[in-house]
Amino acid sequence: MPVLREDPSFMLIPVANESEGVSIAAGASLGGRPAAVYMEGSGVYVSSYNLLVLGKRLGVPMLLLVAYYGSILDVRNSFLYAFPGIHLIPILQSLDIQYEVFHNGDSLEDKIKGAVKMMHAIKQPVALLFTGEFTA
Amino acid sequence: MNRYDCFEFLAPLIKDQLVIGSLSGQRVEWGHLCRHEGNLLVASMGAALGMGIGLALVLPHRKVIVLESDGSLLLSLYNLPTLGNLSLTNLVIFVFDNEVYSGTRISEPSATAGKTDLAGVARSCGIEGATTVREIDSFKREAKKAVEENVLRFVVCKVDPTTGHRQIERPNEDLWEHKYRFVRYLERTEGKKIFLGRG
Repeated sequence: MPVLREDPSFMLIPVANESEGVSIAAGASLGGRPAAVYMEGSGVYVSSYNLLVLGKRLGVPMLLLVAYYGSILDVRNSFLYAFPGIHLIPILQSLDIQYEVFHNGDSLEDKIKGAVKMMHAIKQPVALLFTGEFTA
Repeated sequence: MNRYDCFEFLAPLIKDQLVIGSLSGQRVEWGHLCRHEGNLLVASMGAALGMGIGLALVLPHRKVIVLESDGSLLLSLYNLPTLGNLSLTNLVIFVFDNEVYSGTRISEPSATAGKTDLAGVARSCGIEGATTVREIDSFKREAKKAVEENVLRFVVCKVDPTTGHRQIERPNEDLWEHKYRFVRYLERTEGKKIFLGRG
C-alpha cells in the first residue's frame, strides 16, 4: 500500500468492505480509469453479489488482487485461514471469474499484463491469487 | 410526495450530468421519463451509490447524480463513511425513501419507517448538509441546487409507496446494451477511449 500511495499514477481509495470496493471500482472502470480491488480471499465471499451483478451481469472489467490465504501453499496456513481458502477457487469458478494463482514472483509482470489484457478483452473481472512466497 | 412527480421535475434539468440508478420502481419510472444517454441504471440494490462514487472520483469535472432507495441504501450503508471521508463536490445523492420493502409486492416496513433517519446517519458519517425533504416544493429547490451547485449533496426524499411503475412498459434493452450506450456516450463526450480491449 505505501508504494501505491506514493505513486501519483494510482488513485487509492480505502473502503469499508470489499463489496463496496467492487462497486466503486466498477464506477471508476466505466468512467475510463482501469480499476483493481485489493482484498484478502475472504473479500471474494463478501463481494460475491456485486461481482455477480456488476462484474458479470453488467460486464465491467476490473482486476481482483487477492491475498490467497488458506491455500496448501500458504506458509502461515491455520485453522482460521484454511476453510475460507479451500472454498475460494470453487467460488470463483461458480461465478465464472477467470483467475491465475501466483506461488512466486516468476514472470510476475508478464502474467499481470496478461490478466489486464484478459479483463479488457472480456470486460469482466479477472482475479490474481497470491499465495506461496507472497504469504511469508 | 410522489416519486414520479419528483422525476418529472428532475428529468428536464438533466443535460450532461450522469445519472446512476438503483433497482425498484424508480428504475422503471426514471428510464421512462428520461432517455438520456448518460443514464446508467444498474438494476441491483446496494450498488448505485458505490458506482456513483467511482464515477465522480475519476470524472471530477462531471456532475454525477445517484438515485437511491431506502432499501438499497440500507443494504449498502458502508458507502457513507467512505463518502464522508472523500472530498467530492460533483456528487448528488437522492434517496427516495418510501419506508417499505416493496419489491416482493409485500409492502413490509423498512427501518426508515421506524427510528432510522438516513440523513442523520449520513451527517454522522461526515456528509455535512445531508437533509430530508417531504414536500414537492422542497424537492424542486434541492433538484435545482443539485444541478447548479458544485457541492456534495445528500437528500432523503420521503415519498409515498406507489405501484404506478407496474403500469409502465419495461424497456427491451438489456444491461449490456444499456452499458455500451452509456460508455459510448462517455467516450464521445469525454474524448477518450474507455473500453481498452481489442475487438
